[in-house]
Amino acid sequence: MLTIENVSKTFSTPGGQVQALKDVSLSVNTGEFVSIIGKSGSGKSTLLSILGALDNPSTGSIVVDDTQINKLSGAKQTQYRAKKIGFVFQQYNLVPNLTALENVMLALEFGGYPAASRFDRATQLLESVGIEEDQRQRRPTRLSGGQQQRVSIARALANQPAYILADEPTGNLDSATGKKIFDLLHALSRSQKTTIIVVTHDLEIAGKTDKTFILKDGKITTK
Amino acid sequence: MNVLTRGVKNAIRSPLKSGAIVLMFAISIALILSMLVARGSVLSKIEEVKATAGTAVTIQPAGVMGNMGGGDPLTAAQIATITSTANVTSISSTLTDQLGTDDTNLTSSLELGSFGQRQQRFESSDTPSTSTEAETSRPAPTPRTSVTGTTDVNSIATDGGDLTITSGEAFDGTSSDNVALVGSDLATKNSLTVGSTFTAYGETITVKGIYTTGNAFQDSGIIMPIATLQALTDQAGAVSSVTAAIDSSDNVASTVTALKSSLGDDADITSEAESAASSVESLQGIANLTTAGVIAAAAAGALIIVLSMFLVVRERRREIGVIKAIGGSNGKVIGQFIIEGLTITIIGAVIGLVLGVLVSGPMTTSLVSSRANSTNTTETTAAGPGGQGGMRMGGPGAAFNQGAAQLTTNLTQVTASLTPQIFAAAVGITLLIALLGSAIPAWLTARIRPAEVLRTE
Repeated sequence: MLTIENVSKTFSTPGGQVQALKDVSLSVNTGEFVSIIGKSGSGKSTLLSILGALDNPSTGSIVVDDTQINKLSGAKQTQYRAKKIGFVFQQYNLVPNLTALENVMLALEFGGYPAASRFDRATQLLESVGIEEDQRQRRPTRLSGGQQQRVSIARALANQPAYILADEPTGNLDSATGKKIFDLLHALSRSQKTTIIVVTHDLEIAGKTDKTFILKDGKITTK
Repeated sequence: MNVLTRGVKNAIRSPLKSGAIVLMFAISIALILSMLVARGSVLSKIEEVKATAGTAVTIQPAGVMGNMGGGDPLTAAQIATITSTANVTSISSTLTDQLGTDDTNLTSSLELGSFGQRQQRFESSDTPSTSTEAETSRPAPTPRTSVTGTTDVNSIATDGGDLTITSGEAFDGTSSDNVALVGSDLATKNSLTVGSTFTAYGETITVKGIYTTGNAFQDSGIIMPIATLQALTDQAGAVSSVTAAIDSSDNVASTVTALKSSLGDDADITSEAESAASSVESLQGIANLTTAGVIAAAAAGALIIVLSMFLVVRERRREIGVIKAIGGSNGKVIGQFIIEGLTITIIGAVIGLVLGVLVSGPMTTSLVSSRANSTNTTETTAAGPGGQGGMRMGGPGAAFNQGAAQLTTNLTQVTASLTPQIFAAAVGITLLIALLGSAIPAWLTARIRPAEVLRTE
């Protein structure tokens, strides 16, 4: 269970204070597939980074499975990200000089997975997301956008996280590939009871999720 | 794959960029090593010059140069003053004289020549005269034989070392026996061998040994115990030159000052150290230059690594953000960048040290030879006493002059030597730069927030 209560986030900019989130409250049940939609600048990415402990809110609390993560130390938040969260980014964000396999193994290393079995685990994950054997030793630049996003999903799944936070996962893909990626995430949500929170502006995707939150000018409404 | 392998792999992910950084760093390391080698070589040469030139002080009666000039010899009281002066460890005294044809049965092995004739043109009349009448009224001048009485036969050696005795043996410098060492040219001329006798000052002198110096003037002379010569010439206690050995080169200047103070205007005091000091100054200048070079090269090397790694961190902010976002700790990220920086610096250091070993020799030679001209000029004008003595120059003056010539050779022969200490210093400086250059930019990665990864998306 993930609960956000009265979260606000204010940034200091040269032009003055900018309030990205205003008193946001929401809750997501375990195993739910949730979407957050909103226009550019509505605060979607800020909300996602707070959910993933990449950033702390200015006020309010985020409780994940009875732990208030915004009160954790930096090191504990790193552990939280490594073990409980899997990130999927719009621009894939694979480490460029590592192969597909090494990218997945990197997440396994951070999650404390035994070194001896990382290779097998990474191979199995890449296989499960549809990355062929000859593609596993390729660097990201030699993979298509769809393939990179699949590797990114395999990396997100590496440590069997309770939550997958996806920021515009289909934003850089053509509609056919985007649909395949969405279906992959959807299937994971169903098969592994993984809670998936997708930030998107694609209303078609949002329409297929269990729950949709709409962010507008930093405030949230449930659809 | 772990932090170590990721760091090493990252170091070579862009071969062109890493190659350029490695090359720049290698050049600065080569410079550091070269400058350290040059500095070490020059400093050791300075020490060597000070050590070889530093401890001999020559005291002569004021106005005397070799056998020329006037004034009174040094007295026993003055010798006692010199001996009791602080830092003087030992002295060797000499008294020089010349044997004319009336004084000895020996035939000089030196040809008088026009130079010698001119030196002796005053001998037969009270006042100098250039008139033809006066010239013809005097008997023709004859070459003389130089006699040196000394407490230390080695003071006659022209190379500053021990006198080479080709046959027989040295006499006891404190004795007053009628014995002598005869120069090889004089011995040949007069068919003298060890045990032969000759007459001087009306006494029979026994040849104790034959010596050679390679100097025609010296090899035409005779050496006797100083007490013997003092007795034979009726100059009890007289000394025409004293060479005092000082305990340390650092004390030479103060001892010279003390001697000048105690002996006043009665003596002329010179030391090789004083004349060498000005020559060493140019080497000291090179040493200072190389010290500045080491600092500049080290600063440049550190700057190259810090700035390069800073740029690397800056252009990989997103990647660092991703690593942190997926659970990479600050420690792992810092470790990875330190390994990356160290890999580049170690490769650069190895190349730089090899390069440094190759160029340090020529660089040292080039640095020193560019200063050698001024050094030579200084040395020429700083030649020791006795330089004006001409034919009559003798005794320690000759040795002094030869010693000064040796100094010139020493000064210009600064050879680059890479000692383990210098190499260790270069490696130490390199490691320090490598650690600082890697750690500072790596530490900056800790300040990159993982939320960076979502920015601009």
